Amino acid sequence: MTSGKVLIIGGGPSGLESARCVAELGGEAILIEKRERLGGTPDRENYAKLTHHWRDASEAMADMAAAVTSNKNVEVKYQAEVKGMSGSAGNFTVEIEAGGAAESLNVGAVIIATGFQHFDPGRATQYYNYYSFPDVITLTDLEKMLKEHKVVRPSNGEAPKKIAFIQCVGSRDRQIGNEYCSKVCCGIASKQAIELRQQLPDSKVMIFYIDMRMYGYWENEIYWPAQEKYKVNYVKGVVSEVLQKGDKLLMRGEDTTMSRPMEVTMDMVVLSVGMEPSAGTRAISQLLGVKQNQYGFIEAGGAGGLDPVATSQEGIFVAGAASGPADLDDSIAKAGLAAARALASVRKVMA
Amino acid sequence: MPTTSENWNPGKAVDRHPEATYEEKERLFLEVKNDTRYEDFLYGCYECGICVSACPSARFYDFSPRVIAQAMAREDVERIYDIITEDIWNCAQCFSCVRCPRQNNPGGLVTILREVSLKNGLQESKDALQGYSRVIYKVMLKGNQVSPDMLQPDFFPDWGPWVQNFSQNMQVWRKAIPMDSIRGVTDAAWRTDRKTLLELYTIWFESGNMDIIKELDESLYDLLTDVMNEELEEG
Repeated sequence: MTSGKVLIIGGGPSGLESARCVAELGGEAILIEKRERLGGTPDRENYAKLTHHWRDASEAMADMAAAVTSNKNVEVKYQAEVKGMSGSAGNFTVEIEAGGAAESLNVGAVIIATGFQHFDPGRATQYYNYYSFPDVITLTDLEKMLKEHKVVRPSNGEAPKKIAFIQCVGSRDRQIGNEYCSKVCCGIASKQAIELRQQLPDSKVMIFYIDMRMYGYWENEIYWPAQEKYKVNYVKGVVSEVLQKGDKLLMRGEDTTMSRPMEVTMDMVVLSVGMEPSAGTRAISQLLGVKQNQYGFIEAGGAGGLDPVATSQEGIFVAGAASGPADLDDSIAKAGLAAARALASVRKVMA
Repeated sequence: MPTTSENWNPGKAVDRHPEATYEEKERLFLEVKNDTRYEDFLYGCYECGICVSACPSARFYDFSPRVIAQAMAREDVERIYDIITEDIWNCAQCFSCVRCPRQNNPGGLVTILREVSLKNGLQESKDALQGYSRVIYKVMLKGNQVSPDMLQPDFFPDWGPWVQNFSQNMQVWRKAIPMDSIRGVTDAAWRTDRKTLLELYTIWFESGNMDIIKELDESLYDLLTDVMNEELEEG
C-alpha cells in the first residue's frame, strides 16, 4: 500500500532537521533513533560550544529536539534500529526493532541520517601514541573537558601550560585510506584553541597544520581572532611523532615556513581526528542496498553530481555526514533539502 | 662581534648568540612589543609571502619580511634576537610590504626593531651604521643631505630598469615640469631655513634621537651637540 509517510533514520542534527521540515511542509514523519535520547553526536560526544554564535551545544541540540518532539506530525521511536526493508519508492515496508519489540512500518520515502564517527587515532600511521600516553588526547576528549570547564592533564590532574594541536589525524592520508579532508577539524581545533585561552589564560597554544582550511566566515570569525586576539600560534608542518620526555611530551616535526626541523615539549597534545562513516551508516547502507563510496560513506550526488541528497535508490535520500564530512551548516541544509525531496517523491507516487 | 661570512652560523637560533641570555633577548622583545606602534603594525600572519614577493631586499639578501612578521606574531624570542641582530639591517625601509592582506607592516616592525637595537647599543647596529657617520652628520645638522643629481642609478638596482632611462634625460624631464619648488635645487641640497632647522634640533633632542646617536657614536654626538646647542642658544 502506498504511504505518504517519511521514515528518518537517526536523531542527530540532520535527522532532527529532516523531521522538522517534513512536518512543517505538511507531511508525516517517523524518526527512529538508536539511543534513548536525541541530539546525535554533538550530544553523545559532549560537544562544548558550537561555532554558531558560540552557542552551548547541549542547548542548541535540545532546541532542535524540542522542535521535533513537540510536533504532532512526527512520531519518535527510541532505542530503535532498522532490521530489514522491502518494497520500492512510495511503498516501503521497513522492519524495525524498537525498545526490544519488532515492528513493521509502511512508509513512502526514507531519509538516512546516520552520521559519522570520529577517527580512531590508534589507526594513525604517524607515531602519536594516543593509547600509550595519557596526555595525548583527541578533539572529542578535549571538547568534554572544555564543556566541564576542567581542562587538566590526564596524567597528573594539573592544568596544562603548553598545548599543541596536530591537524589532519586520520584525514588526507593515503596510507590510512582516508584521502579526503574532514572539513571541520581546522575550525574546531581553532575554536577549541580560543576556548583554551579563555579558560586557561596563561597557557600557550600551538596548532600544527598542513593547510588551514578556514572556509567562509570561519576565517574572520575563528582563525584571525585565534591568532590576533588569543595569540594562538599556527605552525605549518605535520608532526611525525610524539614521545615521552620526563613528564612532558616531545613533539618532532618541521617548522616548514621557517625552514628548520623542530622539537618542542608540550604538556598536552590534542589530535585533530577527522570523520569516518559511523557504524550505523555502514550497516544501513548494506540493509537498504544504497551504494557506498570507497570510504564507506553513502554515495550521494545523483547522476549529474548536483543532487547532494540523492542515493543510488529511488525514494531513499541521505542527509548530514552519512554521505561525507560535513559541518552543522552542511548537515542541516542537506536535511531540509532531503525533507523536501522525500515529500515530493511520496506525493508524486500518491497523486 | 659583527656577523661575517667567516663566523656566520646558520644553525639553531639558540646557539648563534650564546653570549646573550634568554632574559636579555626577552627584554629586547618586550621593548619592541610595548612600542605604541606595535599593535598597528602587526595583526597576525598566515604566511602567504606577499611581503616577500614585493620586497626588493629579499631579492638581493637573505632577508624575509614574512619571517619577521611571523616570528613577532609567534613571539619567538630566540628568532627575534636573530632578527634584531642580523636581518633588520638588510631592509631598505621602502615599505613595499604594506600591501599585506592582513594589514601588517613588516617594514614598520623593522623600524621599531632598529630603534630598539640602537637604543640598547647593540654592536650590530653600530656595525651597520659605521659607514653612515657623514650622512648622519649632514642630515642632523642641515636637515638634508641629498641633492637630486647625487642619485646615481647604478647604486640603486632595485629601482628597476626605468631609472637608467629617466636619469639619462633627467634635465629634460625636469624642464617639462614647471614646478617652482624644483627651481634651483637640482644640483644642490635643499636649503633648510633656520627656523625649521632649530625646530628640527629641538625635536631631535626631545624625541630621544640624540640619545640614540650618543649610544651609537659618542664623538659624533659631541660634534653635533656642540653645533646644535650653540645654534639653539643664539635662537
